[in-house]
Parts: sequence; C-alpha cells; structure tokens
Amino acid sequence: MALLLLRHRARVSARHACARCGTAGSLPEEKKESLRNGPGLRDFVCGELADRGAWAGYAGALKRQKGERLQLPPWLKTKIPMGKNYNKLKNTLRSLNLHTVCEEARCPNIGECWGGGEHATATATIMLMGDTCTRGCRFCSVKTARNPPPLDPEEPYNTAKAIAEWGLDYVVLTSVDRDDMPDGGAEHFAKTVSHLKERNSKILVECLTPDFRGDLKAVEKVALSGLDVYAHNVETVPELQRKVRDPRANFEQSLCVLKHAKKVQPGVISKTSIMLGLGETDEQVYTTMKLLREADVDCLTLGQYMQPTKRHLKVEEYVTPEKFKYWEKVGNELGFHYTASGPLVRSSYKAGEFFLKNLVEKRKTKVI
Amino acid sequence: MIAQGILGFMRPLCSGLNVSKTRFVFLCGMTEQNCMPAKQVSRRGFSSTCNLQGAPRESSSADQVTVHFINRDGERLTTTAKEGESLLEVVVNQNLAIDGFGACEGTLACSTCHLIFEKDTFQKLDAISDEEMDMLDLAYGLTETSRLGCQVRIKKSMDGLTVQVPMEVSDIRRQLEVGKQSKQ
Repeated sequence: MALLLLRHRARVSARHACARCGTAGSLPEEKKESLRNGPGLRDFVCGELADRGAWAGYAGALKRQKGERLQLPPWLKTKIPMGKNYNKLKNTLRSLNLHTVCEEARCPNIGECWGGGEHATATATIMLMGDTCTRGCRFCSVKTARNPPPLDPEEPYNTAKAIAEWGLDYVVLTSVDRDDMPDGGAEHFAKTVSHLKERNSKILVECLTPDFRGDLKAVEKVALSGLDVYAHNVETVPELQRKVRDPRANFEQSLCVLKHAKKVQPGVISKTSIMLGLGETDEQVYTTMKLLREADVDCLTLGQYMQPTKRHLKVEEYVTPEKFKYWEKVGNELGFHYTASGPLVRSSYKAGEFFLKNLVEKRKTKVI
Repeated sequence: MIAQGILGFMRPLCSGLNVSKTRFVFLCGMTEQNCMPAKQVSRRGFSSTCNLQGAPRESSSADQVTVHFINRDGERLTTTAKEGESLLEVVVNQNLAIDGFGACEGTLACSTCHLIFEKDTFQKLDAISDEEMDMLDLAYGLTETSRLGCQVRIKKSMDGLTVQVPMEVSDIRRQLEVGKQSKQ
C-alpha cells in the first residue's frame, strides 16, 4: 500500500522534474521533419548487396582527398553473419578457449567463411597464442599489450582437437606477435602443427607466421614442423612499411623469413599477402611483386585495406574489382603459382580452395 | 521500522546505481516522515536525469584545458580536454583527424601517438619511464622534445598547450618527389 503511494508520488514528481528541466526531449521542428521523411528501418535491413551490374556504374569517390573519409563502395558490402554453421563454430571456439583472427581483426568475410556453402565446409583461421599482440600496427585491430597473458599450454592440443572435430581438409593457423617470448612463440606454433598432423596426416596445414623479429632459428622450427604452406605477410610496398606496420617489422626482414623457410624446407610452398589502398602507386606494387617472385615466393594474395576502427589508418583508395583482376593477371604473368586478387580477398580467404584447385591442375599437367 | 530496514538494504543498492542520497531520502520520506528532519527532504524526485546529448555539462569551463594539435599537413586542430586525460584520449574522444593515432590503445606497445612538444612544456612533463623510452626510440622523426601522447596527462597548467604531430617517412618522400618534379 505504501509502495503504491510511493510510485504514484514518484511519477508525479518525475513529470514535475522534467518540466522544470525545460528543453529535455524536444527536438527542433526541422529535425522532426527529417526523421519523419527519412529512411526507415526497412531501408537499412534489406539492401542490394550482390548486384554486380551496379558496381561498374558506382559514381562515388574512390581516392581520398585531404580531410575526407571515403564511403564504402558497393563491392565491399557484406551480409551480416548468422546461421547454424556460424553459431556452431563460435560455440566450439569459446568452449575450447580458442581465438580466431576472423573475429579479432574484424574480417568482412567471416559470415561467408564460417557459414560455409551448401557443399563447402566452414573454414576458420585459428589464432594461436592468445588474442593480444605485442605490436601495434596501424592497419590491424587485434588487441595490443606490452605483456599479454602467458601462453595456454593446452592450446596446441585443444586446437588439434577442435580442427579434428570440424573435419576440415585445409586449415590455416596464424598467431599474434609475441615479442615477449624468447623464441617468439615458435615452439608453441610448431607443436600445434605436429599435434594436428598426428591426429590427421591427410589434412593440409598452412601457417601464417609472425616475423619472429628476424630470428631465423624460430622460422626454421616452424618450417620443419610438418606444415604444407608457409605464409608470412609483407602487408605493403617497401616505401610504406614504416607508415603502415610496427617499426619492429620491415620488408627485408619479412622477405628473409620467406626465403629461409624455403631454404630449410625445400618442399614447402611459400605465400605472402599485400594490402592495397594505403597510398601505394602502381609502380611500387609491380616492383614489390617482382621482388617477391625473385625471392621464390609461390603464392600471392592481394586485398583491399579496410579501416577497422577510428584509431587506424584511413583508406587512401578503394581499388576497383577490375584493377584487382589486372593485378591477378600480372601475378600470373610473373610466374606465381597462384595469385588471389580481389577486394575481399585476405591471406587465408578460400586458401584451401585456391591451393587445392591449383595443385590438382598443376599435377594434371605435371608442372610441379 | 520497516523503512529503516529498507534503508539498510537500499543504501548499497542505491550507491551502486549512483542514486543521490537526497533522491533516496525522498523515497523513504513517504513511509516515515520522522525518519529524517523535514528540511533535509528534497523535492527533486528520483527521475531528474534530464541530461540531453550535447547539452553543456555540469563541470564548469574552469576544468577544461585548451590544447592545440598541429597536424602533419600543418593544419591547426584546437580542442578542449579535461584534466587527467591523456593526449591520446583527447585525440580519440574528440575525433581529431590525425591518421593512425594510438594503434595499441595506450599500452606502450607502439609509437603511433608520438608527439613533439615545445621546449619549455617538455621540461615540465612527468619523467619518462623505461618502457616509454623503448617505444619512443622506434618512432620516426624523433626529436629531443618528443614524447608518447598516451603517457602525457593533461594538467591545468597546460592550458594553451601546442603539440606537433610528427611527419611520416612517406610524407617526407612525397615532398621530395614533388620538389624534384617541380624542378624538372
């Protein structure tokens, strides 16, 4: 009874209080008008995403001018991830305390890769050694800390277990930079690969490694762990390395890593990736591709840089899908085993498909 | 008596909810008038939170400090900051147009918040830690008055502070190329 009284009094006083506050809750007339006539929820929820015909006619700006921020062109818009496969993967990962770069780096392909197709199995790129990196690169949104939490000793075993559960044919393992560890985490990485191969010797393993600060012994440890593809990303052209990556990383060091992996494990396939749209010129990209080919890098992927958060570099240019196709042609002409090139292509996007398709084709013609 | 029991229960709850004491007293004033002396009972009611977005805050302008950032292209960005905020927080919270600033979110694991101070301001800053020095050493364009923005906290004495955002290698290179082209 007393409570009822309380509530009634409170309501009255609330109204009274709000009235005293004056401007609370009343928008100017023009604002109200624009809200009434503006877009409704429906306009945001149903969108034309895959209408390729509309791409060629896209009239928005693609090169950033001073002071502005470019709008996302239609070929980069992706569906919201959801579905049975997506949720199943998410739950498996959480229950085993695993992380994926897909989530941590906000990959736009997460819905497509995790969802899988009708026949394709879902793929995810597991990120080893935790979700916190010791470097802060200006293109990457993975969490950074000076002293990340210690490594989980169960991780190699759990990762192998999870991947076995998923029944994948091709898996990509990547990791954060762990400059706080004496070997950069190479031992942990190598153990994961060997556990995996023990459980399933047929599975194809690709490792996207850090540069281990140029420690070639660490590179060797990972290269000899039994993997099939050794990947390490140079990220951008040499002229922009200092601007884009952490100062502890550079082009020469990354190239050395790739060369050394090939040296100690001649049968391994090496792979790298470049982001476009950070302000590089065509000549710089071409020169970089030539340098990579000269270092005997086998596979190359080119993708569009997308700004993950406001603390990261702005996109300087949105490269058109046609231009990406052009780079693919250039890559094939230069002699890469395969060049995956497209706005949404990432280092491990459909990595298995590209690799296997290519391998099968080449084996048919007995080139390798 | 019941009210007093409620009082004992509600206090920790209300402190957690940040409900001010006066509003709470009003609540209880209903059930037992002699709980608190009448003059302390506030008539404000407990839903007086009418803080409109963008409306001027309660803190007076005396708490705000003006800071100027000179961007890489020479543009001057002026903003206000609260005492105790780090310069990185100022840039991020005020959405200043400084590209790629604070990649590691202030954990001393990068040097993207590198700023150059004026000599007299630099000398008044707090001592630099070893960790900050490690990261600062990696920064491009290091000067004698350089510090990392995430480690410098605003003080009232810094009103009118001017800091320079250092140029990047790519900017210098571009300038040289443009200079070469204009000479040809």
